[in-house]
Amino acid sequence: MKKIALFLCAVMLFGTVFAQSKKKMDKETMEWRYEIEPAVGQGAQGTYLVKVWSYAKKADKATAQAPKNAVHGILFKGYAAYNSGNVRIAGQKPLVTDPAIETQNEDFFNDFFADGGPYSKFVTLVGNGATDIIKVGKEVKVGVVVSVQKDALRKYLEDAKIIKSMNSIF
Amino acid sequence: MKKFILSLGLAILCLTAMGQAKKPTLMVVPSDNWCKQNNYVQVYDNQGKTTTVPDYKVALQSDPDLQMAISKIEEMMVERGFPLKNLEAALKSLEGQSAEDAMLTGKDGSEVSESPIDKLKKTAKADIIIQLTYTVKSVGPKKQIDFILRGLDAYTDKAIANASGSGPQSFGTNIAIMLQEAVLSYLDQFNSQLMAHFEDLAANGREIILRIKVWDSFDDGLEREMGDDGTELSEVIEQWVSEHTVAGRFNTTDATENMMLFEQVRIPLYNEKGRAIDARAWANELKKYLKNTYQIESKIMMQGLGQAQLVIGGK
Repeated sequence: MKKIALFLCAVMLFGTVFAQSKKKMDKETMEWRYEIEPAVGQGAQGTYLVKVWSYAKKADKATAQAPKNAVHGILFKGYAAYNSGNVRIAGQKPLVTDPAIETQNEDFFNDFFADGGPYSKFVTLVGNGATDIIKVGKEVKVGVVVSVQKDALRKYLEDAKIIKSMNSIF
Repeated sequence: MKKFILSLGLAILCLTAMGQAKKPTLMVVPSDNWCKQNNYVQVYDNQGKTTTVPDYKVALQSDPDLQMAISKIEEMMVERGFPLKNLEAALKSLEGQSAEDAMLTGKDGSEVSESPIDKLKKTAKADIIIQLTYTVKSVGPKKQIDFILRGLDAYTDKAIANASGSGPQSFGTNIAIMLQEAVLSYLDQFNSQLMAHFEDLAANGREIILRIKVWDSFDDGLEREMGDDGTELSEVIEQWVSEHTVAGRFNTTDATENMMLFEQVRIPLYNEKGRAIDARAWANELKKYLKNTYQIESKIMMQGLGQAQLVIGGK
């Protein structure tokens, strides 16, 4: 009986620690600490190939945030053009042009960016998720190349009436 | 009961169709600059002044690369949900119409000339003209394409969207594929500028210019008093324009005894029947109003889709 109680306590403790760690990760997600830039390479039509640099105390946490950050970046930040030698990549404006939309649709985006939420359908890690890690003070900055299906993402947001489509205007 | 359900279904179908307004259409054309560089131009007499305009028909017939380039841009725009009018089809339809004189002459000899491009715009009735310029240059054994896309409001000729850039260097020689590679990265930005314009159109109406003139034979001109309260014809017209624009948006740029110029006139996109309204259709309502209310005849002259001139005092 004593053993069962001890086991139950251990399970509960482990559960609480795990939940807290997950909660912290969500908090990190919601802070949206990342940088996004175009990645050199050929993406498929209807996708953007980007490198997203995410900040966290541990590299694995930053890597885990990368897909969310990439989708968030395509939606709300866009990225600058890249020019180096013969390689030129056009910059892109964010899909959501009105910054107020994020706060006006807070519930929608909370669900959208939840762990395993709909955002995950639109993003794929490139090169098996290989990362570049840079130490920045007490944190690490992790760069991951991902492919974001921007056409499908736009369609999803148009259908959800988050952004306007031709059909919704006329 | 069966008939009742059938009629109900038909009524719902009609209402749905009427509720859905038509989407604005785009037409892709080679730019004036491209036509000039490639010698696809025609010269026409614009009231005694020789004017050079692009000759789209010869360009399409002589340059297979142009057709491929236009088709590729059209394909990419259709994929993104923008309805298109095809330049070649519009040119054929223009040819099919009875030949119109380049000069329209009124009774007093005043003239409004229309360029072949104005006629094309009137025939195609596309809302946005996308002008395409491209040049292929050789970089050693490779080739590279530079392009410019300019979206112009067909009614006002105002630039509403722009994109320009270069494609990657490649060994390929297919213009359409090179253009697609080059344009793809810039198309989203271009489309978002178009969408912003469409949102403005939907919210504030289409922009046109209205000119009012009077025949010499029309006594007192626009200062003619129309009622016992001394209201002048110019005030009557201004009031009508105010009542028939979206949220009363217009600007009376100039007004004298003989002429009035209204700019930035925002007219509704569609009438109550869901039909697209251009400057002619809208000015025609003013013409009818003056005739029915004040027994004043007038004549409409057009320049393109977006500039109407109403000459008061006769036909």
